[in-house]
Amino acid sequence: MATRKNFSIVAGPLSRSNPITTQVLGICSALAVTVKVDTALVMSGALIFVLVGSNTIVSALRNLIPSRVRIIVMLTVIATLVIVIDQLLKAFLYDISKQLSIFVGLIITNCIVLGRAEAFALKNSMRESALDGLGNAMGYGLILLLVAAARELFGSGSLLGLQIVPDFLYAGQGGWYVNNGLMLLAPGAFIILGLLIWLQRTVTGYREE
Amino acid sequence: MPGSNSYTYFFVITMAVISALLLSVMKISLQERQEFNKALDTKKNILKAVGALEPVMNSADVEELYTLKFTRQAVRDSQGNEHGFYIYGSPESPEGYVLPISGKGVWSTINGFIALEPDKNTVKGISFYDHGETPGLGGEIEKDFFTSRFAGKKIFKDGELVSVTIAKGRLQEQSDYAVDGISGASLTTEGINRFLRDDLTDYLMMLGK
Repeated sequence: MATRKNFSIVAGPLSRSNPITTQVLGICSALAVTVKVDTALVMSGALIFVLVGSNTIVSALRNLIPSRVRIIVMLTVIATLVIVIDQLLKAFLYDISKQLSIFVGLIITNCIVLGRAEAFALKNSMRESALDGLGNAMGYGLILLLVAAARELFGSGSLLGLQIVPDFLYAGQGGWYVNNGLMLLAPGAFIILGLLIWLQRTVTGYREE
Repeated sequence: MPGSNSYTYFFVITMAVISALLLSVMKISLQERQEFNKALDTKKNILKAVGALEPVMNSADVEELYTLKFTRQAVRDSQGNEHGFYIYGSPESPEGYVLPISGKGVWSTINGFIALEPDKNTVKGISFYDHGETPGLGGEIEKDFFTSRFAGKKIFKDGELVSVTIAKGRLQEQSDYAVDGISGASLTTEGINRFLRDDLTDYLMMLGK
């Protein structure tokens, strides 16, 4: 069944073959942009754009690309798309693009993007490649959002900039609660990510060979 | 013919030309908007330095307040180079002065503004923008929790320009000339210490000491 296969192309990377928790790719940016939920959201959006775009274009060109220079051709496609999204963000979402700073540019080196182009888009139809890109980017985005939500909630007491932990609980205002500063630093992201990987592997029973 | 050298050259050059064309068109069509955002961000940071920036302000409010309240002037340093600064309020009875500051952090040039009270000694506020410091570490310098520490500090001690120094970690004792640092941002704040003092020196003539 075509639709069933398409569904598994999209849904697989959300959990079973998630690029972050199962393949442990794209960790660098996953740590860097997850201090707050809004940056993680925009970053995920940017990755969806780049990954769907690069997979589709690489797949469309798959019979034309000379295999000796395929990596550099794929990187050209990816780099072009990344610059496009970076410029768009600078024009339309300036404040968030400032916070994401170099990390949008670093999507070029995100192993997920080149990995999917090489492993999937070069061998499959445009339609399937686009779906594969969408699935993998959403799998990445899902983990980013989970990590960001945990970090923003415990690190800053807010979600999407809205304060969740009430003021009166804070130590300064007569309460006892203190935000966990560790969550704002990279080690905090590592810990959350580690817990997520543990949780996911316990549930799915996935084992590293 | 696929596989031949000439085909590879042809393909690679075509790819390069198409990407270059796309990016050029993109850049030119978005340039105006991006420059507008950048200029607006600078104005926002001038307002932020004097503490006049409210979160609810839209771009028109910022423009209006900026045009209404700020006059640009210039002063020469001991070498005869000109340095611009802004007078906050009417030039006859100023409510403050805003001096642009910039210099090297760890990874990038940090830009900012320091606002002084009419006594040209007490710091009204400070803002940092347009930098490429590590988000979450050095990048924290632009956050309110840090910039608010400068308000009320003094830059002259017994007629001598001492500037405001950012300590490593917490201050040992309260001082009019130093503020608490940010852990994980020592090198960034060391850079700021250096260029803040240097840049204030350029304005000695105007500071009138």
